[in-house]
Amino acid sequence: MTDVSIKPVDAHAAHDAHSDAKHEAQRNDSLKFGMWLFLASEVILFTVLIATFLVWRVNNGELVHQVHEATGVFLVSVNTFLLLASSFAMVMGLRQIQLNNTGGLIKWIGLTALLGAIFVGLQGVEYTILSNEGITIYSSEFGMRFYAPTAMHGAHVIFGVIWALYVVMNARRGKYSSKNNIGVEIFGLYWHFVDVVWILLFTVIYLL
Amino acid sequence: MATVTAPLPGIQAHEEKTKLRISDYFKWTVDHKIIGVQYMVTSLFFFIVGGALVMMVRWELLTPTLDLVQNGTQFNQLFTMHGTIMIFLWIIPMFAGFGNYLVPLMLGAKDMAFPWLNAFAFWLIPPAGVLMILGYFAGQAQAGWTSYPPLSTLFSDGDGQTMWAIAIHILGLSSILGGLNFIVTVRNMRPEGMSYFQMPLLIWAILATSIIVVMATPFLAGGLTLLILDRVAGTAFFNPAEGGDVLLWQNVFWFYSHPAVYIMVIPGFGILSEVLSTHSRKSVFGYRAIALSSLVIALVGFTVWAHHMFTSLMPSLRIPFMLTSMIIAVPTGIKIFSWIGTIWGGKIRLTSAMLFALGFLSMFVIGGISGVMLAAVPFDLHVHDTYFVVSHFHFVLYGGSVLAIYAGLYHWYPKITGYMMDERLGKIHFWITYVAFFFTFFPMHLLGMLGMPRRVAVYAPEFQTLNTIVSVSAFVLGISTFIVLFNLVYSLYKKRVAGPNPWRALTLEWATDSPPPAHNFHGDPVFFSNPYGYGTEAAYRYLEEQEKELGPSYPKTMEPSTQAMAHAAPAPAGD
Repeated sequence: MTDVSIKPVDAHAAHDAHSDAKHEAQRNDSLKFGMWLFLASEVILFTVLIATFLVWRVNNGELVHQVHEATGVFLVSVNTFLLLASSFAMVMGLRQIQLNNTGGLIKWIGLTALLGAIFVGLQGVEYTILSNEGITIYSSEFGMRFYAPTAMHGAHVIFGVIWALYVVMNARRGKYSSKNNIGVEIFGLYWHFVDVVWILLFTVIYLL
Repeated sequence: MATVTAPLPGIQAHEEKTKLRISDYFKWTVDHKIIGVQYMVTSLFFFIVGGALVMMVRWELLTPTLDLVQNGTQFNQLFTMHGTIMIFLWIIPMFAGFGNYLVPLMLGAKDMAFPWLNAFAFWLIPPAGVLMILGYFAGQAQAGWTSYPPLSTLFSDGDGQTMWAIAIHILGLSSILGGLNFIVTVRNMRPEGMSYFQMPLLIWAILATSIIVVMATPFLAGGLTLLILDRVAGTAFFNPAEGGDVLLWQNVFWFYSHPAVYIMVIPGFGILSEVLSTHSRKSVFGYRAIALSSLVIALVGFTVWAHHMFTSLMPSLRIPFMLTSMIIAVPTGIKIFSWIGTIWGGKIRLTSAMLFALGFLSMFVIGGISGVMLAAVPFDLHVHDTYFVVSHFHFVLYGGSVLAIYAGLYHWYPKITGYMMDERLGKIHFWITYVAFFFTFFPMHLLGMLGMPRRVAVYAPEFQTLNTIVSVSAFVLGISTFIVLFNLVYSLYKKRVAGPNPWRALTLEWATDSPPPAHNFHGDPVFFSNPYGYGTEAAYRYLEEQEKELGPSYPKTMEPSTQAMAHAAPAPAGD
């Protein structure tokens, strides 16, 4: 109860270097925490879709095995490897900018975007193969539960690729440095999340 | 009425700097104060739309036969849109408006943590609202706001149902982005030295609400994704004939929507704590109990969803859900008793804001009691899907949330606009609303127990007397709404200058001009260690310092009764 006075502080006077640094640290912390909250809500969205598959999977194991035997997991294994590699590229990109190497950042994040794009392309190939075998979204009990979560994930990858290109564009403009790379880090959180979701989907849908 | 002859220094100063034009409110801006007003005005607009729809519903229900609408489908569209608009476009965004306006101010911050995201979240709402209303040109949604399949999939032909689902999807995204913004703001933007337990209770309420928003809304998003796929892509997630599961929707929907009913009322709890304490000049009773019970409600709210499904659920699951549903009455009861303890022995000033807060306190209790009744399985089986349920949720949503919104409007209007609202009109508004509200919704308890089902246009003739009482009261209630709408505009033109702190409250949003300047405060505001420490010597000195800084708290032109209220301000409740 000691603070009872309202000090007439000039807003401009308070703007020294120290408060700027503090302000930036607070802002970076806010961005990261906000991103984690957003990803938490994304986890729940995917939980609904994956649970829809799992609950059905429990009672229809035979059907799933037939699909697995008919299609195999070669293509999707390659795809999973590509996405894991893209996460590695993401990590390398962040490391490069932390070392203040913008050129390295552009190369690695560019690779991230490229691998993400190939992943989506191969997913399209896989969808085509499945459709030709009669597993479509509208005519198959397995199909609808397969396409909904994987396509939702694919949409997230597409969004991530666009975001990666945006990061590359910013990097070419010299926006990032060893001190200022929160934009890359936030994108990294998202990209790793998308990767983790895929590992889960791969396990639940293709391997179980 | 007296005019302002000699403007007060503080007020004159702000008028030069912060004069906003009407057009500023129709533009993209990242100022949380403008966004807050944008939320509020947008939701008030949809409140009128939703109200007009339900006036038609009540007109139809004046007689047991069809008269206003030609068939059941039209009636279904009316109550579907009424429910959806009132929930997703009125109550939720209205509370988001209060949160946006007040959270940064109460924390002494310049803005929200993510101003751009804040604006983006708001601008998702108007297009979603338009999309929903455009459904009327494509065969409007008619499956109720709960949109149960197969009603919403196999038996809803119009594209309106799809547009409805997409609109809700967009509104859900808006809520999530707004909610995470609030959480980050509360965590990171508190002024130096303010602990969580020194925050105003409205902030606690917004925090608890935002946690539910971020954690529950994605369930709805998931469910809606499947619903849209069922309607558009030909999947059969909810069609048992093709390997789907019809209960999947009910589980996912209520796993969102039961927590969501707390999204719709917890901010009202927060408003109530502010208004009751300030207008009875007494410290909040059980600050920590009120703050933490919001979090408990948020948590337990996730474990009760299946009480909406007592008639469709496995019987063995009924008892557990009955128990959790009854447990949630405990934290709610803690709040009610704490509020009564707050006003007990206080210097109560019956301002319009206070009247509405007391109205909430009385009516919400009725809604709470009927809620516990409904949680009891045997009783619920009897009144499931009857007007008893309609009565219950209107007592908590209208008697609770809407009355809290009114209390908040009367309380913070002086801060937002810089002008006092007309107290006499406010009191007329309160009494008509209060009485009409009671006679609109209380007889519905009887109708429900007598067996009148909800969502029907044609009913048994013996229910007509009660239905006529309900309808006539509903019309009065509808008209009473225009009093506050008129008051909101009229007070802007009447220009009775409010001064920075007309209620002499201790929370930080009052420690600046009304309306606040673009960056909210002149310099860094100093918060008072106890936001509800009314009646202490320290509080008196704090407010005195505030007056030295900003000019008189309230103008000399205030109505005598309100002035007396302000004068009595810092006196301890006991003396």
